[in-house]
Amino acid sequence: MAREDREQDRRDRLHATTDRRANRTILWRTIILMALFGLLTFLPLFHKLYVIQIREHDSYQQRAIDQQTMDNAVSANRGQILDSNGKVLAMSATVYDVIISPKDFENLQANWDKSYKDSEGRVLTEKKGYYPRPEAEEIANELAAILGLEPEKVLQRLEKDSYYEIAASRVEDEVADQVRALITDRHLSNSVYLIPTAKRYYPYGSLASQLIGWVNWRNDNKGAYGMEALYEKELAGETGRVVTAKDGKNRELRYSFQDYYDASDGNDLTLTVDTTIQYYCERILEKGIEMFDVQNGGFVIAMDPKTGAIKAWANSPTYNLNDPWDITDPILSQYLETVQNDPTALEEAYNTALKDMRNRQWRNKAINDTYEPGSTFKSMVLAAALEEGVVNENSTFYCPGFYVVADRTISCSKKAPGHGSQNLALAVANSCNPAFMMIGQALGAEKFYNYLEDFGFLEATGVDMQGESHINPVSAGLIWRRDKFTSANGITNLATASFGQGLQVTPIQLITAASAVINGGHLMEPYVMQSITTPDGTVVKQNEPTEVRQVVSEETSRRCRAILEGVVDGGTGKRAYVPGYRIGGKTGSSETLESRRGEDRTIVSFLGFAPADDPQIVVLLAFDKPLPATPGNNLTAKGYYISGGNMAAMMAGELLGDILDYMGVEKVYSEEERAKIDVTVPNVVGQTAQVGTDAARNSGFTVRTVGEGETVTAQIPAGGAVIPSGSEIVLYLGQEKPTDLVVVPDLRGKTATQAQETLARVGLYLKISGSSSYMSSNAIVAGQDLTIGMEVEQGTVVTCSFSDNTMID
Amino acid sequence: MPKLKRDLTMEQQLARGPLDMPFLMLVVLLTVIGVIMVFSASYATALNEGRKATYYFARQAAFAVAGLGAMYVISKINYQHFRWMSVFVLGISVVLLILVFPFGYGKAEVGAQRWIRMPGIGSLQPSEVAKVGVILYFAARLCKRNTEKKKRFGDAPKERALAFLDRIGFLELVPYILVLGVVVLLVLLEPHMSGTILIIAGAAAVLFAAGIHWGWFVGGGGFIMAALWFIITKTPYMTKRINLWKDPWAYPKDGGYQIIQSLYAIGSGGLFGVGFGQGRQKLGFLPEPENDFVFSVVCEELGLIGAGLILALFAMLVLRGYWIALHARDRFGSLLVVGIITLLAVQVFLNISVVTNFMPTTGISLPFFSYGGTALMIQLGEMGIVLSVSRQVPAPKQG
Repeated sequence: MAREDREQDRRDRLHATTDRRANRTILWRTIILMALFGLLTFLPLFHKLYVIQIREHDSYQQRAIDQQTMDNAVSANRGQILDSNGKVLAMSATVYDVIISPKDFENLQANWDKSYKDSEGRVLTEKKGYYPRPEAEEIANELAAILGLEPEKVLQRLEKDSYYEIAASRVEDEVADQVRALITDRHLSNSVYLIPTAKRYYPYGSLASQLIGWVNWRNDNKGAYGMEALYEKELAGETGRVVTAKDGKNRELRYSFQDYYDASDGNDLTLTVDTTIQYYCERILEKGIEMFDVQNGGFVIAMDPKTGAIKAWANSPTYNLNDPWDITDPILSQYLETVQNDPTALEEAYNTALKDMRNRQWRNKAINDTYEPGSTFKSMVLAAALEEGVVNENSTFYCPGFYVVADRTISCSKKAPGHGSQNLALAVANSCNPAFMMIGQALGAEKFYNYLEDFGFLEATGVDMQGESHINPVSAGLIWRRDKFTSANGITNLATASFGQGLQVTPIQLITAASAVINGGHLMEPYVMQSITTPDGTVVKQNEPTEVRQVVSEETSRRCRAILEGVVDGGTGKRAYVPGYRIGGKTGSSETLESRRGEDRTIVSFLGFAPADDPQIVVLLAFDKPLPATPGNNLTAKGYYISGGNMAAMMAGELLGDILDYMGVEKVYSEEERAKIDVTVPNVVGQTAQVGTDAARNSGFTVRTVGEGETVTAQIPAGGAVIPSGSEIVLYLGQEKPTDLVVVPDLRGKTATQAQETLARVGLYLKISGSSSYMSSNAIVAGQDLTIGMEVEQGTVVTCSFSDNTMID
Repeated sequence: MPKLKRDLTMEQQLARGPLDMPFLMLVVLLTVIGVIMVFSASYATALNEGRKATYYFARQAAFAVAGLGAMYVISKINYQHFRWMSVFVLGISVVLLILVFPFGYGKAEVGAQRWIRMPGIGSLQPSEVAKVGVILYFAARLCKRNTEKKKRFGDAPKERALAFLDRIGFLELVPYILVLGVVVLLVLLEPHMSGTILIIAGAAAVLFAAGIHWGWFVGGGGFIMAALWFIITKTPYMTKRINLWKDPWAYPKDGGYQIIQSLYAIGSGGLFGVGFGQGRQKLGFLPEPENDFVFSVVCEELGLIGAGLILALFAMLVLRGYWIALHARDRFGSLLVVGIITLLAVQVFLNISVVTNFMPTTGISLPFFSYGGTALMIQLGEMGIVLSVSRQVPAPKQG
């Protein structure tokens, strides 16, 4: 028993020891765990929170805000572009993109099913608010009908797995209204919606397209070309923003915060351009191109010579600003068609051609391109020579048809025997190259070059227009270096420069320099922007005429005007003559690099201004490459002699006549002119013989009466016909006018007088086409509007166009 | 009719001791804050799903009340009874873990078979039960390790090998390895990685505290590290997870999204937060903001101050838990509390590590905060066990 007790006791003691040891182990190990999990693990978490919430707070907050907010742009209205009279050339309006959200449409259908179908799939038509289920096909059909699309295509989009499909871009208000009605009628809510966007309209279509330029809606409605691009910042205004909170599903949280940043509308841009003058310029350009078979288009610039304000700026080929990608020019589209119909040409070739044609129609050649000005440049040479006193009105020049410089013989446009002896005015009127080579030499290379600089040919004009090159013309290889020009070897350069060849200038440089010649010697900085005004009419910016420098004196300028007037008054520019107006100018037929290689490319041009004593408008117009009837021929297929005097001057005369009429410049006729102007025949039928005769005589006609009656019973030609004053009017007194028809005679090759006589013999009347009524004894009929051999009534007016192939400039 | 105190045995009297008030207060505080944060985090989701804004909040609150009740009931149980119960709890968990394969669900939702539907209360994660089961069973067994009879071995080579294994303490570990192995295998088959980690953590804590040689933990830890290294570097799935952890912005669409959104939420909270209920990240940016990422919402709305305070409350709860373990009446009580508290601490640590991108993503909910009724109830039940142990903490000697 005692032994058992001892054993028990020993075991208890052992137990107690192991118990104590086990307890101690648990104690210590628990303390270790306590330290580890109660303290150590929490420390990095606190640190991490500190890093994220304090140190990187700003960055995370910004990024969180970026995703939590919707930043909707509020587009600013783009400013208008106006002409100098406030006519709108470019304006913006709202159009709409039609967006389909196929996913939302699916939800829409699912919701409909939930609302209007019971568990067995029966449709609950009686339920309140019931409407027919929007079926994809029906909606696609209806939408397609409104948008003018194929229903299948719309259906395809409507069944896509997306939230955003553009059904149609830039639809007009009326279409948008129909879409809105569809959305309401078919309960489409947000599965079809409209996004407003701006569209630019150009009310005048192609008018002044290269100048105005256009905005590219494919590039965020930014100005792509022209003034639209140049004044982008002013016109565009500042886009505003609406910042709204949104949730993760891109839904606006309307009752959450919103922030507005107002959009500020763009400013209006008023141009110096006058829409009417611009229209005249484009019309004449188009007419000339058609008339003279011009291949490379042309340009017309009209400018106020006193201020440098651009009044019109026309280029051909041109395009419609409302659809700038479309090719409308007949020559360009014909070329495209050729490529398209060419079975050997690849798709790629067509695309390249299309791109080329687009670039050609967008090109503002009157400022982008340079050309050798030819004889129009003589105006500057004349001014320089007069200013320097190396020639005067009494100087005489002898032209044998050529001139020898160094070892080169340079011929005159009028071959031997040449112009013979001429005074200065006649030399200019004849556009005599040998005379001008003499003048150039008298001036000397050094001074000549000074005037090149002074007239601004070695710098950009600074016109606020897109595309003027600011590369120095010398480094661009367009004009000789001074040291080269003034060296002994430069003498032939001086010779050709004297008649405007061998150097390249831009049209805007030429017309700016020419303005200085005629406006009293002031070289002006041309400009197109008249003013910039805020939408409420406050003027922000205004362009004032800027004189760059005085090049020649007022007196020299006056003398130049007088001599240049002589060019039109009987010289090579006589086709620009308009009765009643005093027009001065200079013709030009530029040789080109191609023509020196023997190809047919002449640029015919005319620089004209009026009134000659006080110029208010100066124009420069040029046609690039009239097509000769046969290679090397001097005549076009329609019989026009290829020269500035024949082509450009004729167009310029008509143009200047229109412009001066429009500007309200008063016509002053000389006695001689009065006899030749076209007059409208008064209607005197029913009047007494005396009254009728007086009326006709007062209008400047001669009168012949037939019959013995008291009253006029008929007249030839009928009232309203426009014929040259001085023509004979036949009044029938108590007698019917003869009804027998007469045959239209062949007038080609006849002079005006001969043609008139021929027509008078059969009872017909002559009208000289165009407003240039100058009938030189050398001009012969090139075309007539009534076909030879046609039978017409007596008194019919036959309009003839004349060509004076002796006018070589 | 209740028995009078004098009729109670010593045991019964001890079991009626006072609850540990600091621990109880911390649990109640965290539960209340948690339920409130569930409201803020879930109302947007609820509205979005076409439910009432308070849908999730009401459910969670109901479970919290029931859970606190259950906690109190459990704390009334003399924890000594858990010794014999442990075997049954473990058994039930294993059965549930097996039943989850034929009857459970979750494949369609998360790609793992983890839940069993319980009519009336929603769904139950057997792995939650298994955590408690393993800890209970291990604690119950390990508290008696010093009284186990020393085995005697003969001289035969086999016997000598066994003797060696016994000496290094391996033989003793075999039953634990077997039990843990079965449970972990079942959980891994679901598969449920985070559940596995937590079960191992709880079990390891009990084993460690019980005095198992530290060498085994070094060895076991080393083995797990090696396995992880292998998995991370050799399997594309884990490699991607690691890359994702290093730079979530490189995978904004697949995988990185959650963590990016969580960081935005935490980061935009700043020091003071955007204000309770004012968070924007929960509005469709942060996926399931009432669940694993509820702490991100806390950080966004309450700022570093609020989040730090909650973290401090958790730390205090853990420390107080270990304090109870240190003062428990017996080793069983200590081990039980150590297991439960360590489990809680690890879960808090992993959840917050994940939402702050301190560690790679794995789905672990935050105790008392994440939405989930049965999980909350089981958690509170565990707290009840701790409180039950705390009742028998000997009062400090007086005088």
